[in-house]
Amino acid sequence: MAPYISIGGYSDPPRIPHLSLEVNHNELVALVGGAGSGKSNLMKCLAGIRKPVRDSIRIMGAKPGSIASRERSVFVFQNFNYAPDIYLRTQLDQRISLIRGVPSREVKDDVRDWCERMDLLDVCMNYPGKVNLSQLQLFSLAPVFLTSPSVVILDEPFRNVSASSVDAALSLILPALENAAVLALVQKSSPLLEKADRIVTI
Amino acid sequence: MNGRKTFYFKSSILLLLRTRWIGPYLLLPPMLAFMVYAEAYLSAQGVTGIYNLEQRIVLAIWNASLLLTLIAGIKSCLFFSRLWGSFWFRNSLALPASRYSGFWGPFLAALSVATIMYLLTSGAVIAALPEIGRFPWVQVLAELYVPVIWAVSVGALLGLITSGTAGSLFFATLMLLGFLTGMPSLYPSSGWLQVVVPPVGRIMTLSLVFPSGLIQAVILLTHSVIALTLGRLLYSFGIKRR
Repeated sequence: MAPYISIGGYSDPPRIPHLSLEVNHNELVALVGGAGSGKSNLMKCLAGIRKPVRDSIRIMGAKPGSIASRERSVFVFQNFNYAPDIYLRTQLDQRISLIRGVPSREVKDDVRDWCERMDLLDVCMNYPGKVNLSQLQLFSLAPVFLTSPSVVILDEPFRNVSASSVDAALSLILPALENAAVLALVQKSSPLLEKADRIVTI
Repeated sequence: MNGRKTFYFKSSILLLLRTRWIGPYLLLPPMLAFMVYAEAYLSAQGVTGIYNLEQRIVLAIWNASLLLTLIAGIKSCLFFSRLWGSFWFRNSLALPASRYSGFWGPFLAALSVATIMYLLTSGAVIAALPEIGRFPWVQVLAELYVPVIWAVSVGALLGLITSGTAGSLFFATLMLLGFLTGMPSLYPSSGWLQVVVPPVGRIMTLSLVFPSGLIQAVILLTHSVIALTLGRLLYSFGIKRR
């Protein structure tokens, strides 16, 4: 079976001179690098919102940015994904329904249950600016739980999660990642490192 | 697949219905009242030369269209610039939504809101008139709607290429230039200026005599199409290059 995520000969000089990496189904690979090491640029290239120097990336066999590379993938950005002026709950409903390909009324119950389980029900009817960073980070992870993606790419997913919530979030996120190819772009202190199948340092 | 092409349209509608974006339209009634009062005063003094009912109807809708064009244009510059320059928008390109709808969705949302405002405002103006008579007001309404389309289209282009404030200033200048074309002494009877300067004012003064601003409407629509085509090309270029 072809790798779900394939990076061949990627370079982002001077930060990343060369990177080749494959992530297969049911595998969690942690790509470790310090601040300013080019992780976020790589994330943008994987999401198809930045052009790599060489056209060397494939997600589910498709070029990054193509609809085939995005329809079963979840990208969790470091600076979150939410519009500042729309209620979080509304945005969650929209996003989950978009990724699942069903009308948003069909996902409302699932979103509500998830918010309740994560103790976020009270805050989900707020604008993102009214919610603290730790809660916002948990909201940005919601599509991972709620859409059963084949590919998950995370950029520093626990950086803003409060220490008291990390274990709870990890225990919830790991089962959700079991059937996916997961690439986590993290720093050395990330709690995801202990759970990774492979660690690649840049 | 469900919602792929409408994601940005729906999101933009939700954003545009916030007080910050819908609020400027509340300026319309007082501004309109002031203009109608001023024109009625000037007309009573014999300054404007507007005496008959038809001219007063066109003038009333003209006022509504002019003010709405100004507000919609400035608001569009600010909205599009903020939207397309945001982290949120850039990151949302990773969602399985149609990327091309990232241009057309917000544009159609802004145009829809401006259109509803235009219909409400001109409807209120017509309802307030003592009688409509046998005047072709549907034609006038359609003709004076063209500047609203133009404002949102130019706003989309300016929102892409510059900051909201700079875009708004440029739009207001362009609008003023276009407004001056309404004065026959300043408007050339032929030549390239007729095509280059948006005939926002001309379309309105022609309607005052008779609903005959068809050529001006076509020129203004052509400006809108050019602005949208350029905007669309720049948008494609921008999302591939980021």
